[in-house]
Amino acid sequence: MNGPAKRPITIVTGFLGSGKTTLLRRLLAGPEARDTAVLVNEFGEVGLDHYLMQRIDEQTILLGGGCVCCTVRHDLVRTLTDLLDRDQRGAIPRLKRVVIETTGLADPAPILFTVVTDPMLQHHFRIEGVVTTVDAVNGGLHLDRHPESLKQVVSADEIVVTKTDLARPNTVNLLIARLQAINPAARITTAVFGHVDPRRLLGPRGGATLAARLASTLPAAAPAPAHDVLGTHSRHAGQTRSLALTFVQPLDWIAFSVWLSMLLHARGEDVLRVKGLLNVGAARPVVLNGVRHIMHAPEHLERSLSAEQHSHLVFILHAIEPDDIVRSLRAFQHLLGAEPHVDDADLHR
Amino acid sequence: MCVLCWQFLTEDHWTDRRFDDGETAATGSASSDGERARRRARQHRTRLLNCILSHYGLRVDDWQSRSYVLSDRKGRAVMVQDLGALWPAAQQLAGRCLDPLDPWLLEMLDQHGGASEPVS
Repeated sequence: MNGPAKRPITIVTGFLGSGKTTLLRRLLAGPEARDTAVLVNEFGEVGLDHYLMQRIDEQTILLGGGCVCCTVRHDLVRTLTDLLDRDQRGAIPRLKRVVIETTGLADPAPILFTVVTDPMLQHHFRIEGVVTTVDAVNGGLHLDRHPESLKQVVSADEIVVTKTDLARPNTVNLLIARLQAINPAARITTAVFGHVDPRRLLGPRGGATLAARLASTLPAAAPAPAHDVLGTHSRHAGQTRSLALTFVQPLDWIAFSVWLSMLLHARGEDVLRVKGLLNVGAARPVVLNGVRHIMHAPEHLERSLSAEQHSHLVFILHAIEPDDIVRSLRAFQHLLGAEPHVDDADLHR
Repeated sequence: MCVLCWQFLTEDHWTDRRFDDGETAATGSASSDGERARRRARQHRTRLLNCILSHYGLRVDDWQSRSYVLSDRKGRAVMVQDLGALWPAAQQLAGRCLDPLDPWLLEMLDQHGGASEPVS
């Protein structure tokens, strides 16, 4: 139950050829990667050399509900259990962190689901964040044509736009704007040949946990009331939207969790992402982070945000109109104790 | 493992996190204050759930502060551990998906501001 005792897991994902391995190679070269285990799905052409590296063969078990995100990665359970066993026996140096590199076509959600729900793993590991690489040259095309790419961006806490030296500045700027619209709660950075400050993606980050990162990105990242995030050229145009909400009054946590759990039951596959900082009447805000059906255990932020303790909530939706969410929250407001306000982009930019 | 119902209890559902004060994010304190707060929270949740479930002809009752008993007007009942299990069970009993975006439900909530006739 004690968060800090759990070993953090960072997931590195990104579409085929988007620079995951290059980024990882840079990250692993630094002192931050000491005592970090690396799990890769495939040994790529770019040689990775790390003493705690293991290959995992993707073996998935689809659970009864049939929802793709609620899929147990059996290979991951076995590998992480083995790693934990070796760590506890002292066969390897004390494990500080695990990095999982997915395949280019992977949906990160089953990895999250596996770690969050496995009866044993959930007590020893926690997901610290999802880092998604997006190729500056082809990223837009990938988003247009491959739903896997969209899932990777939606799941991200950190987005690294790679190969910016090969693309025109205007192309890079347009891509970044599009990524911000798709996932307003993610932090976006650019990189050439994987040059990113490792401390930004791997610890120690001086308490910059997932929660703190959320605090630094969310209030400033609220988008316009509803974005068509994929543009008119996309096949998904009009289906994937983001919505940013503010609640001025403290939220009734119990009522809100009833509403959100009901929503995720009914529409979980279409709620691609929910992320928020909630004032539930306690001294510190509560951090909320979910990918489709999968919710991280909500936790208190380590510190107060500011004198203004409004709740901020971001949804990334597929095939759900943002207005329908607002309408529902308004109908539930007498239970929630707070009225939702749709954020205006001009207030935040 | 529950010795009576043989349920395998692993971890609290995310909705069972409580944030009663600024210092603790409790999931079930052994102290009496913590236990009282936990029971109050469960009572509050039961009331809120019944505000919604009553529109579907369903009712939920707390069972020993450990589980919930979900029932319908035909006398069918099912025991569930948490909200992760409650909504699928409610869908099965009601014969329809309980969707907070359903315009019919929202209209009911607008009109009644809460529960309709309680299900007995």
